Amino acid sequence: MSVDLTSTSGRTILAFKAGRAFRRAGTNFVDASPTKGAIVLTNEEGLIHFMWKDRTTGEVGEDLILFPGDAKLEKVPQSSWGRTYVLKFESSDQKHFFWLQDASTRRDEEFVTNLNRTLADPNIIAIWDARNVYPTSEASTSATGASISPPSTVQPVIPATSNPTPAGTTPEQLAQLRGIVSSMTGFTSEDELWLTDVLSSQNLLQLFQSHPELLSSLFPHLPPELIPSSDATPQQAVEILQRTTNSPPFRLAVAQLDRALRTGALGEFVRSLGLPESAAMGVGAFLAAIAEQARQEGGTEERMEED
Amino acid sequence: MSDEDSSGWQLTESDPGVFTELLKSLGVPYIVDDLYSLEPESLEALQPVHALIFLFKWFPESPDDEPGVGAGHYDSDFPGFFAHQTVNNACATLAVVNALGNIASLHAGPQFMDLLNFTSGMDPQTCGMAITSADWLREAHNALSPPSSISLDGLDLSKKSEEAYHFVVYLPVLGSLYELDGLKPYPVRHGEYDGSGEGWVKKAREVIENRIHTYPTGALEFSLLALRDDPIPGMRRRLDALQGSAEDAEMSDLMNKISNENSKRERWAFENSSRRHNHIGLVHALLLALAKAGKLDSAKADAQRVMRERLERQRAMQS
Repeated sequence: MSVDLTSTSGRTILAFKAGRAFRRAGTNFVDASPTKGAIVLTNEEGLIHFMWKDRTTGEVGEDLILFPGDAKLEKVPQSSWGRTYVLKFESSDQKHFFWLQDASTRRDEEFVTNLNRTLADPNIIAIWDARNVYPTSEASTSATGASISPPSTVQPVIPATSNPTPAGTTPEQLAQLRGIVSSMTGFTSEDELWLTDVLSSQNLLQLFQSHPELLSSLFPHLPPELIPSSDATPQQAVEILQRTTNSPPFRLAVAQLDRALRTGALGEFVRSLGLPESAAMGVGAFLAAIAEQARQEGGTEERMEED
Repeated sequence: MSDEDSSGWQLTESDPGVFTELLKSLGVPYIVDDLYSLEPESLEALQPVHALIFLFKWFPESPDDEPGVGAGHYDSDFPGFFAHQTVNNACATLAVVNALGNIASLHAGPQFMDLLNFTSGMDPQTCGMAITSADWLREAHNALSPPSSISLDGLDLSKKSEEAYHFVVYLPVLGSLYELDGLKPYPVRHGEYDGSGEGWVKKAREVIENRIHTYPTGALEFSLLALRDDPIPGMRRRLDALQGSAEDAEMSDLMNKISNENSKRERWAFENSSRRHNHIGLVHALLLALAKAGKLDSAKADAQRVMRERLERQRAMQS
């Protein structure tokens, strides 16, 4: 009667670095708190959670369950520093203030726009714009390494009443959005795929059997106790690889990576794998970057027909 | 103490293999096995059983639904070992410690024996805090759980929400059956048991079955584990003693049993290794290998097809 605890609950939709700011009692001033954090949007059993997490301790400082259409994150125009936002509600007067903490402002609008799209309709998938990830200038900004301190002057806040529309949305982006919306009955586009299906048991077995010369490149990534010894037969090696890739922890890792790639927030992570930051834009982008990495490493078979 | 305070203790799974690995790191020669039923035959096969661990998750309609102590009574004068659960994620290890702390003539490694001596005489709350402050114990516990693998500059994106099972230990102390629940103020005494025949497990069966029946149907998810002697050394000694004798049936039976136990340990060892390992590197390496083998494009096309079919089925069901 062993109990399986590997099922996950809670799917992260998107995440980006942000700190909190608090209204000074009795005033319209908002003071930014320097604590490093992140706004994380998750879907737990159909409910959208807007969370603020402390990045140093991992603790959840704020966990709001939001109804579609009730809340949106708006820029505070009176903030001269320019990166202060307020989460406002149709259903109540409550307000939560945040300030964006990513060292680069390049993706501010993109994060906020995608957040608001999801808060308006959780079935909308996030759209990540390649132009925000490929810097146009030669000097690339290190988007994740730098720490940023909050503005030292206090920003006066007068509640905004206008409803700002996202500026600078190109016709192509609108068409893309319309195309996606019109083709979906659920929440995916025509090209949608899951990493778990790409790495299906069948695909992997075929790979192991048809390309034994590639197996040794996989050994270092196995659990250390399971790495085949030098006198293991190819059959034994395939058995170990199969057993590992069919195991719940492996399947879970694939599912987690799939979900995490959809948040658009894995820039630093994909770089640690030797991939360009554009690989973090989604599952398709990740796979394209890997195909390129394989070509660069050599040993790619440019064959038209499959085994 | 907030629910979010994990004090560095990670949430572990509750497989017998995980518990047995923990026992090994404590230097205790016991194992933990799944119990599929409380019937006499099942328990008999596992004797000697030192404690039963009841683990459960339940979904109350209201906070007032929580069952109390059944027919038992709180024993504020309990002479044995009892620690409160002061850190949620440590629940599995705490249950094991509560069980081991009450086993007479326990064989264990020096660190654990020292910890038991150190906490002797402490009240449950202080005892619980002392247990969860033991760095070596926390490290042994954390070594059993999966690593966090995907982070956004310090924020772990892959962390699942913490849904812990609750663990309750049943074991005999000084002639009575006790229930040790780290979330209750004191151990619960369920009365004396008859030492003959099945012994204390008979009373444990009654108490546990009664408990299960107090929950509304479908509201309870549970599992039972038995903390018992490792049977392999005893079986090997018996087999050695029978060598050259005519007891073929018994020898063959023993060899089967030993072989089954070894398979089970091998499976546990594999699962533990797999559970502790960060597989993300392997995922990347596999995708790269697929690309180098010229198979990535067809795998992608395949995956897209599977997804389309999935969506078709979903639409068909909804219309």
